[in-house]
Amino acid sequence: MKTIIDDIRARFSVEWEHEQRADLAQIGVAPGTVVPLLTWMKLHTPFVQLNHLSVVDWLEDGEFQLTYLLTDPHGHRSLMVCTRIPREEATMESVHELWPQAVTYEQEINEMFGIHFPGSPRQGVPFILEGWDDLPPMRRDFDTVAYMHAHHPSRPGREHVDPRVYVGKVFGERGYLHDDD
Amino acid sequence: MTTTETLRRRVQLWFGPQHPGITGNMSVQAWLEGDTLTQGITHVGYLHRAFEKLMERRKFIQSFPIVCRICVPEPDTNEYLLAAALEELSGLDREVPEKALWIRTLVLEMSRLAAMLQVLGGHVGSMGLGVVPNWTYTLRDYVLDRFEELTGARVYHMYTVFGGVRRDLPEGFAERMETEVLAKIEAKLPVIDNAIFDSSVFRKRAIGVGVVPEEWADEMGISGPVVRAMGIPRDTRKDFPYLKYPELDFEVVTTTGSDIYARAWIRRQEIAQSVDLIRQILRRMPTEGPYCAKLPNMLTWTIPPGQTYVRAEASRGEMGYYVVTDGSDKMRRVHVRGPSYVHGVSLLERLIPGTNIADLSPLMVSLQTCPPEIER
Repeated sequence: MKTIIDDIRARFSVEWEHEQRADLAQIGVAPGTVVPLLTWMKLHTPFVQLNHLSVVDWLEDGEFQLTYLLTDPHGHRSLMVCTRIPREEATMESVHELWPQAVTYEQEINEMFGIHFPGSPRQGVPFILEGWDDLPPMRRDFDTVAYMHAHHPSRPGREHVDPRVYVGKVFGERGYLHDDD
Repeated sequence: MTTTETLRRRVQLWFGPQHPGITGNMSVQAWLEGDTLTQGITHVGYLHRAFEKLMERRKFIQSFPIVCRICVPEPDTNEYLLAAALEELSGLDREVPEKALWIRTLVLEMSRLAAMLQVLGGHVGSMGLGVVPNWTYTLRDYVLDRFEELTGARVYHMYTVFGGVRRDLPEGFAERMETEVLAKIEAKLPVIDNAIFDSSVFRKRAIGVGVVPEEWADEMGISGPVVRAMGIPRDTRKDFPYLKYPELDFEVVTTTGSDIYARAWIRRQEIAQSVDLIRQILRRMPTEGPYCAKLPNMLTWTIPPGQTYVRAEASRGEMGYYVVTDGSDKMRRVHVRGPSYVHGVSLLERLIPGTNIADLSPLMVSLQTCPPEIER
């Protein structure tokens, strides 16, 4: 993994790096570096597969972290490329031209976190939610309890019936309870 | 308008979510001309339960009853991956006892076996040959009997926990596994072979249908039986070794054709492989020793900041968990990457144009889509 990170460092500005396992390294880059880096990796390195695209909400820092997991299917190793973007009006360049399945990831991220990927084909098209008009629900400041109270008013609880009283009423004082057995 | 033009009118058809041919709670919005599909869009969201969001609000141990529900036919991969990710981030992975590693390998292979039996029946069931699913579901039930004996539950096991597993193998488990499950499966496989792979109906409807071009494998991150049916020997158990798989003797099953028939054939071979692997595991598993490490107090357990991605080979392909911790007693983020996310959406949508409407269901089964892992 050291070699590929050295190669990346020679071409791009890397903010941090970490080796999590022998087959998994992580690097952090600036948002503007992500697409040129991923394009270079797909075209010139064995890391040709996009396995995963994910978002972490660092609410307290006012940032989203985007994580791209690239895999070298022949060398059996993966590289996590991480970047951080501001939470306000969050926008990120799309990678759907590089990997067609990124359309689905970007569609879901757009729906669940509100991050916009200009040019990605299904931005704004519902994926999992239907008719959603609130804050994107995977954001950490989305108040699930308040949403639930606003949209699903609580119903009165059921009337409690004590089985002992009920059986006593129907079958008499001793009924079928066999208290003295 | 001529008759031909009338027949060529584009018709929109919702295939699912209430349809016997759909693979779970999803639907395909399809457009067809005559009986040929011209376009299809996968729709999910019918059973979204916000699992990932829920797990961000729960203590680590409270996530086990959630993750097993991410794939009903094969819940154990999720339990293992959640445990593996958090064990790695906390350093607990070095303390998992030897016996627990063997039991986890056993459980994962039993889970793969049960799921492959189910989907092999589905292959021909989706074409109207109903008798084979009756056989394979019965065989799957035998596997579930052993799961019930081992874990107390048939479907959602919640058996893997941090540091190992919840309990040891019951006495006589290996013998019962052999006589009540493995021997019965082996005895039935030739009959199943005859009913599926020698069936002219299945051959006519499966050979050359739903062909996935080899160049899509890397481009789309295709995995599991779908990629192995292209002749590519790719298997997480070999490529990214975990648990006790490196110590087991098995080869990655491949074939060529990359069609529905090839994918069914891969699953049939992997059922036999799973039977063999379970025998190897039971033979080599230590009889003594602890099955779970000493654990910290689960109510106050915190894990240092970090992030990782762990993966395992489910019956459908590569299953992965991306987990981020922030030093607190809850996960900052957990993101499940199921193989269906690629197979059931991007790949299916690319394969649909040109497919006959009657072949849509067999195509979806051959991709083994599991909707809950798409919408988590």
